[in-house]
Amino acid sequence: MTIHDSIDNYLVADLHNELSAKERDALHTHLVECAACRQTHQENKIMNKVLEKTLTTEKPDPAFEQRMLAGFRNRNPQKTGGIAKLIVDLMRLRATQITALAALLLAFVQVGRMITGEGASVSRSREMSAGMDERQNFKKDEDAVGPAVGGGLSAPMQTKGEDKPDVASFASKSTDLNRPESGAASDQLQVQPEFRDKALAPSAKMAPIKAPQTTGAPENQTATPNEGAESPALPSAVANRKLVRNAKVELEVEGFDTTVQKITAFVNEERGYVATTSSRKEANGKLRGEVVIKIIPENLDRFLQKLRGLGELKNQSLGTEDVTKAYFDTDSRLKNARVMEQRLIDILKTKTGKVSDLLQVEKELGRVREDIEKMQGALKYMDASVQFATVTISLAEKDLEEPAAFLLKERAQLTLYAPEVEKVYNDIKALASPKTQITNAQLDRDNIGRISARVSMLIAPEESEGVITRVKAMGRVENFQVQTERVAQGGAGMSENAKTKRDKVELNITLSREEQEEAFQQTSLRIRTSTVDGKTKELRNLTGKQNGRIRSLSFSRDPDGREFANMSLRVPMRNYNALMQSLNSLGKVENVSVQRQDRTGAQIDEANAPADLSVQIYSQGNIVSHESGLFATLRRTLAQSAAAIMWSLRMIGVAVAFLAPWVIALVAVVWVGKRVARARRR
Amino acid sequence: MDFNEHELYRAAIHGDRDAFEMIIRTQSRALFAIAYGILQNREEAEDTVQDALVKAWKSRWRVRDPKKFPAWLTTIARHRARDVYRKRRHVPLSDDMTKPLEQESPTNTGTESLDRHVHSALAALPEIYRSALMLRYFEDMDYRTIENTLGLSNGALRGILGRALASMRKQLRPALASLEQP
Repeated sequence: MTIHDSIDNYLVADLHNELSAKERDALHTHLVECAACRQTHQENKIMNKVLEKTLTTEKPDPAFEQRMLAGFRNRNPQKTGGIAKLIVDLMRLRATQITALAALLLAFVQVGRMITGEGASVSRSREMSAGMDERQNFKKDEDAVGPAVGGGLSAPMQTKGEDKPDVASFASKSTDLNRPESGAASDQLQVQPEFRDKALAPSAKMAPIKAPQTTGAPENQTATPNEGAESPALPSAVANRKLVRNAKVELEVEGFDTTVQKITAFVNEERGYVATTSSRKEANGKLRGEVVIKIIPENLDRFLQKLRGLGELKNQSLGTEDVTKAYFDTDSRLKNARVMEQRLIDILKTKTGKVSDLLQVEKELGRVREDIEKMQGALKYMDASVQFATVTISLAEKDLEEPAAFLLKERAQLTLYAPEVEKVYNDIKALASPKTQITNAQLDRDNIGRISARVSMLIAPEESEGVITRVKAMGRVENFQVQTERVAQGGAGMSENAKTKRDKVELNITLSREEQEEAFQQTSLRIRTSTVDGKTKELRNLTGKQNGRIRSLSFSRDPDGREFANMSLRVPMRNYNALMQSLNSLGKVENVSVQRQDRTGAQIDEANAPADLSVQIYSQGNIVSHESGLFATLRRTLAQSAAAIMWSLRMIGVAVAFLAPWVIALVAVVWVGKRVARARRR
Repeated sequence: MDFNEHELYRAAIHGDRDAFEMIIRTQSRALFAIAYGILQNREEAEDTVQDALVKAWKSRWRVRDPKKFPAWLTTIARHRARDVYRKRRHVPLSDDMTKPLEQESPTNTGTESLDRHVHSALAALPEIYRSALMLRYFEDMDYRTIENTLGLSNGALRGILGRALASMRKQLRPALASLEQP
């Protein structure tokens, strides 16, 4: 591209002093050659000047920056909220964002692990990475526990291999220093001053305690610390503890007595004794009981093993109680008390001071002696407990739960209908005798004349049949139900040997009047005839003939001359068919409907059960009704049209009521709108 | 770009008020020039710069690269100015500005009429031309700074300024001729 082509760019850059020296030279050379470009250059110069002149007036004044700053400060007041701002600023840093994201991811991973329960594997792997010595410790622990359990002794203190040298070194150190000890250790010092170095050991984690009566102690004292840590220390350490062992065994055996004999034999073999035995006979002749055995602890496990052979083992528990601390506490207190006693005796011997003081001393001495005796007793008891392990054996013969007997309970429910409830009620009450006891009798008569009665009685089993038959004969049986229940006594389930006994029969009688009885069968029919009155009388006679009763009768006549007689009758079922046939003689029988109610569970004497009939005898009446004919039709038509007009009037009223508010509202809106529009136009 | 300047932008992005105020001191004139280039009105341009600065402060965290901070600031100012321009209802453009220049009597000399001609000629230029002109004539910026501010290459800037002056020259030729006579 030549300079001439882009002369504008060159000229402007020249004016703005932005051309390189080479470009400027080239431009000036061109300007000398080209007249047109010279002209343009002139014009451009003027243009530049004009622009400079014009735009300098538009330039912002010197205070512009200050105004901008002031405006900025006004609109963005310095915030003092330090922490929030700091956090926000921090979050804008890339490093912070990455850290936060990483933390979030880590948190998610952890949460996921917690939810899926994956953590276990991690901890295990950590365990695996732990040093070898820890695993060795486990092994040593097992070794220590193993023989102890096998030897029939539980190991309340599991001496870790690595602990032993510590104890020994500590003990030896303290011997060297021979400094006074404090706290729990001092108690131990008083117990066995001669074994001070050993007694110090308990202040270290787990260390053997020497019982005062151990004869092997001097050996240990003279032994070097290293030797003390050797394995021979272990059994003696366990042996020196005061352990009370208890066992509980539950056995199911064939015969109680033979088992007790066997147990006694075992106990004698194992150098023990039977402390107590107790037994109880159940209702079904089975025995259960408890035997308490005292046995030397070394033989306990063997004894328990033997016990298993005696019967089926239901339950066994083995417990060990470490009374070492309590024992030595009591022992040390006993020694203190003895010292105290000696001192008090010395005071009494010197016999100085007031008489009241001496009395006080005497009193104190009494108290101290009492304490000493108590503590001696406790120690003896503990010694005894430790000497012998207690085994409590619960024995139960097989099939302990078998029932001893069965009781047959009979419950009868009788519903009776009788014409005279009161009479029957009294008759039933008269049945009472020592073997037939009336437990409850009640007669109800309500305000509309219904009468009913309830009697409950207990009848001896041998009498029950006769009494029930007699009661049944007193009225019509509506329902009779007998419920028999066999109740097991003294156990549950089946038993081949148990006897069955009949219990007293419980009889509940409900009495009500025959009228209240619901009909067994209900029939309704119509008879058309010309002479209603006559036929009605005839029907009454027929009913009477068939042992029936008229329950209600009504007669009516309508304006068209039709006559109706409604009758309701009740006849016994056995006469029902005869009555139905005789009805045909009265006239044309129409609309016969029969309904029968089967009362489930009711044992009904069908022949005597009542059947209800509802008969309507009616006549045709006039053929032409008063309500027919020209005038009647005219009148009816007029009345109907008047009614139609009234109805339409009502509908119009409803419509108006519906529409009126809306129309009013619409008109109001339009009016307001028009007013507004007019006002605006003005 | 200067290292110190870079640090200044960084600090401003991270919420250093002092740094941002420093930027206001150094940049607001350039922003004014750009806004004026669009709006051709001092008061409006000043308000626009003010608004743009406040907006920049509030959304400063959006800038990822401190190097681009000045260009971003310019963009905000430009957008703001365009908004203002669009909102004003062409009222400030008086009738005589829209009238063809030929109808003006060339003999009607005097600085006022020349000013008006210059303004109307400026108004006819594309926006970027005006911005470049303003930066040059208001702030006497060298081409390098203008390129940085507007995000242009050297060649493009030269072309823009050349064409801008040529176009104005052509439009103002009658007025200039009268000025040349004496």
